Amino acid sequence: MLTRILAHIRKELLMLRRDRGGLALLYLMPVCLVCIMAVVQDAPFRDFSEKQVHLLFRDLDGGAVGKGIKEGLEQAGPFQLTDATGDTAITENAFLDLIRKGDYQVGITVPVNASTVMSSGSAAAVSKLFGEISGDDGARASSPDSAFVVVLIDPAVKQAFRELVNSHLSRVLAGLGSDRLLADMTAQVQALTGKELGPLKVQEPFIGVQQRLASNEVSGNRVAIDSTQHNVPAWTIFAMFFTVVLLAGNMVKERDSGCMVRLLTMPGGASERIAGRMSAFLLVCVTQAALLFLIGILVLPLLGLSPFNLQHVDLLMLLVVTLAVGAAATSYGVLVGSFSATQQRSAVFGSTSVVILSAIGGIWVPLYIMPDAMRAFGRLSPLNWSMEAYNVVLLRNGKFGELAPFLLPLLVFTAVCIAVAIFAERITASR
Amino acid sequence: MEASVDIRVRGLLKRYRNSAGNAVDGIDLDVRRGEFLGLLGPNGAGKTSLISIITGVRRATDGTVQVQGHDIAAQPDKVHGCIGLVPQDIALYEMLTARENMAFFGRLHGLDGKTIRERSERLLELAGLSARADELIGQWSGGMQRRLNLITALLHEPAILFLDEPTVGIDVQSRAAIWTLLEQINKAGTTIVYTSHHLEEAERLCSRVVIVDHGRVVSEVERPGAHGGAARLEEIFLGLTGTEYRDR
Repeated sequence: MLTRILAHIRKELLMLRRDRGGLALLYLMPVCLVCIMAVVQDAPFRDFSEKQVHLLFRDLDGGAVGKGIKEGLEQAGPFQLTDATGDTAITENAFLDLIRKGDYQVGITVPVNASTVMSSGSAAAVSKLFGEISGDDGARASSPDSAFVVVLIDPAVKQAFRELVNSHLSRVLAGLGSDRLLADMTAQVQALTGKELGPLKVQEPFIGVQQRLASNEVSGNRVAIDSTQHNVPAWTIFAMFFTVVLLAGNMVKERDSGCMVRLLTMPGGASERIAGRMSAFLLVCVTQAALLFLIGILVLPLLGLSPFNLQHVDLLMLLVVTLAVGAAATSYGVLVGSFSATQQRSAVFGSTSVVILSAIGGIWVPLYIMPDAMRAFGRLSPLNWSMEAYNVVLLRNGKFGELAPFLLPLLVFTAVCIAVAIFAERITASR
Repeated sequence: MEASVDIRVRGLLKRYRNSAGNAVDGIDLDVRRGEFLGLLGPNGAGKTSLISIITGVRRATDGTVQVQGHDIAAQPDKVHGCIGLVPQDIALYEMLTARENMAFFGRLHGLDGKTIRERSERLLELAGLSARADELIGQWSGGMQRRLNLITALLHEPAILFLDEPTVGIDVQSRAAIWTLLEQINKAGTTIVYTSHHLEEAERLCSRVVIVDHGRVVSEVERPGAHGGAARLEEIFLGLTGTEYRDR
């Protein structure tokens, strides 16, 4: 039995070695996909936090508020600010056009009376407060005027980006407002007490935020999800499942050529043929994973991306996950091959189904950013179980037991695919 | 089952799904040891279905098949150990060389590397294919592929050889070579069951011809060569199966 399985493995590998188109599909295509997708998805993964956002700034105020907003935005990481204040060439319409056409993603205009409005608003609030303390109702000021910093956004940028701009601007305005209030309050206290007081300014928040990775708490792993850490395992899984095109195609070709008829009259059954074919393609899957991990480590940094990080990763667990994913992928190929009447159908169905399963399974973009309904649907995809299993090993530093929720479905999927394929062959023979 | 009978078929019935009639309709047949049996019949007569069931490629709807005393349904591996099949299509891998194809099928029959090498060389020489045995067979002519298709089935030296139209679409030289090879192995004691549309082939090679039509045995002719040759055989054939087209 083992001799026959080895014969099948040797035959499959020999044929693969000579199939240049097939080899390109198995190895070259995933390498290109990893490189292209990792570069393309780099910006969305960073979520603009490290990228320069082009911002056109116009200060019609000329006072402390305009100056404060400009300084605040320049100090905030993501913005590359161009000051158009005083540039007579940039009219109101020209300013609007520069944003609308996407030359700048954001345009910020500080209104003419911004500093006056802030000063009067702050003074009104302070006098109200001190008027209430001293019981002097007459000290209450009239309602302050309002002013708006106008933010123009390129319509082609996404919602998260708009929220990022709003968040930064609100923080800068809140800081300016509190500085103004503190200054006015200090002046009031000084007037009441007659004592000379130094300027009161809060430099840092009293309570800050400290963000740490949960995996770091357990194992010291400092690897967080980024384009490389997502795309390398994601497209490795895709590549493994894409072997369906070649594997199923070879099965159909074998049936069409009459080889299957000869095989059916020889010792050994469907299980040996499937074991041989799956073993050969499992070997392909392992080499695909090794190649793509190496590309992640050696090539992606050359493209300006972070290197694929395997530090702190349990290599035995990584191998187990790779074998489980490979087994699921090759068994799916066997299943598709069993039911496809022609090579064309196996290629079209095989490739389309893998693209769909990968899209809903979180290969293209992580599942957590999908809508709830799609997320629930995506959890049924074997490519999602594969992705989650890799995440346990690569990012979460999980133990073997933590792999169970993902490896068990993969193994059941593999067993079902093989059983159905063997059953299909028996049914075909009895027809 | 008597020792002199290699194949015994009783009440064999095969009905395909979505098919109006039976492809094999209650055939009884004995094939004697060392016999060269020709199965003749028009297209769709049931020849290929009959061979497919005897060799275990398909399952019968009803009836029994015994090959050298082994029931094909109960002991397929025992039957497969003693038969060889040359299918109608080229049952070889185009992306492998002739030697690699033979090594693969030899391994499946449990032969060791030395035996495979020795037998492959002998058979390749016999079929005139030695010189190009290391080329991918996808680059070969149809005649060469047919010859390799035949000798691959002989690698494990089967007691019974089934051939389903082995000379379809090949040149005269290749056909002559195949005839010679078949005569040699039959002389060496191999039982041969053979289907063909070429009556002159049957006349020259077969020790007995069974004519099948509509899934039934309609006639048997012993030593067809002694009955006035292919012309006489054709007369019998058309008399039994008619002159209407059997397009499928």
